[in-house]
Amino acid sequence: MNSIEIKDVSFQYQSNTPVLQDINLTIKKGEWVTILGHNGSGKSTLSKLIIGLLKAKTGQILVNGIELNPETVQDIRQKVGIVFQNPDNQFVGVTVRDDIAFGLENLQVPREDMVERIEKYAKKVNMSDFLNKEPHALSGGQKQRVAIAGILAMNTDIIIFDEATSMLDPKGRNMVLDTMKQLRSEGKTIITITHTMKEALLSDRIVVLKQGRILKVGNSKDILKDKETLEKSNLEMLLPLRILYDLEQTNYSNERIKNLLWELSLSV
Amino acid sequence: MGIKFKRVDFKYQGFDEKGYLALSNINLSIKPTGEFITLIGETGSGKSTLVQHMNALLTPSSGEVDILGAIINQESIKKKKIRLNPIRQKVGLVFQFPEYQLFEETVLKDIIFGPKNYGVSEQEATKRAKEIINIVGLNESYLSRSPFNLSGGEKKRVSIAGILAMDPDILILDEPTSGLDPVGRDELLKVFFDIHEKLNKTVIIITHDMNTVYHYAKRVLVMRDSYLVYDGDPVDLFTKKNIEHWNLDTPDLLKLTYEIEDHLKKPFKIRPRTQAQLLEMLKEVEA
Repeated sequence: MNSIEIKDVSFQYQSNTPVLQDINLTIKKGEWVTILGHNGSGKSTLSKLIIGLLKAKTGQILVNGIELNPETVQDIRQKVGIVFQNPDNQFVGVTVRDDIAFGLENLQVPREDMVERIEKYAKKVNMSDFLNKEPHALSGGQKQRVAIAGILAMNTDIIIFDEATSMLDPKGRNMVLDTMKQLRSEGKTIITITHTMKEALLSDRIVVLKQGRILKVGNSKDILKDKETLEKSNLEMLLPLRILYDLEQTNYSNERIKNLLWELSLSV
Repeated sequence: MGIKFKRVDFKYQGFDEKGYLALSNINLSIKPTGEFITLIGETGSGKSTLVQHMNALLTPSSGEVDILGAIINQESIKKKKIRLNPIRQKVGLVFQFPEYQLFEETVLKDIIFGPKNYGVSEQEATKRAKEIINIVGLNESYLSRSPFNLSGGEKKRVSIAGILAMDPDILILDEPTSGLDPVGRDELLKVFFDIHEKLNKTVIIITHDMNTVYHYAKRVLVMRDSYLVYDGDPVDLFTKKNIEHWNLDTPDLLKLTYEIEDHLKKPFKIRPRTQAQLLEMLKEVEA
């Protein structure tokens, strides 16, 4: 079954140059797909189209087989959770507890179940001690963890992480990556938008965007070593591979070091 | 001169009466020129609160901050003894997500808003804007565009240009590169490093990117749970301190160095700070 089907989608803001052109992409249920691309490549626009925050100029988007249109958008939003980069734009509650509850109220989750879910997911993102705090007492990274808890609590089939880890410290980022792995094991469909190959490598497939078009789609491990494609989209290979490629430019012959660098790049 | 923190505490007031202590007994001295400092620490440790004291956006609950000779404490602020405008011009602070603060019709108007506010003529401010738009990696064609049709990375550059146009002595940036692609990130870091090196300004960057710290910083400050727990050399921090305890991570280059050393069963004589250095060291490893 397909979670998301994007067919011939193009989008532009008002009269300007197109932001996305001729996008065709199918994401299967339970698949984890990373969208990579330079700033301004259209990554975030694509995620906003999928949840119906923006309307495609042409083409069609299907979520769980249902076509996205003004009649279905509310239902579809209950199937797709999204965490944005900037937590200030998504904090709606007066306290952390209210904020996590917000999405659940929209889903009309029974009160007892709601209390249980709030505590479970606050614990998961390590914010249990903050449930009664107001947003201004939280740092940017802490707000982001609350936003993630709020989305997880909604238990949607599909979750989009739109540069959701870029505000987090190393520990927070690892926590979110572990959460993503767990979501995958639960059979959720995951879309991550990021600039880092390390995060992208965890996913099954990578889509590389450049200037609003799909430059390449492939198995994550294949894209990882595709220097040309990555460079075209302002991205970089993992450090061990960058060094390996540089060494190869110089007729370097130490096979032992070369093999080691190759192994290390895959083990991330 | 410079910026000096003396026994600074800061408490955010909340619904509950006891509030929330964001800074505890901070003692810190920053030179007015020539420093390149990174400020790191887990989310919620007090980093943003600390830098907001550096241009008097926040006033210490107790203790004082000396900003280029102006003493900021509860008393001086209450009695309105301090002129804040010159402080804000001399210590430029770029917030997290500065792109959300753009509001003018054109990029040019946004960049010159700050300098005009501090008494620079429109003509002079426009001249500066034309220079600075290049420094941040854009070009003059952007000046007539609406800031709202730019990408996130471009907006970020425009908002940084707005602060640079005020010609601050000390430039503070709160997570300036988060959300940028690797090329954009490196370009912008180079901009900050050039501002430091060529103009001899003090630059302070808050970041979660350990690679930035390891590559660029001359001095690193670590916050943990409202306390300043480390103030010193970045290499010492990552090689000698228990960084996991502070929820930090080892920079990629150092991690790779360790892994290679592990494999060779022999440590390198010195630890490389850049990719180029590691490359040279690998060339000397015997087959």
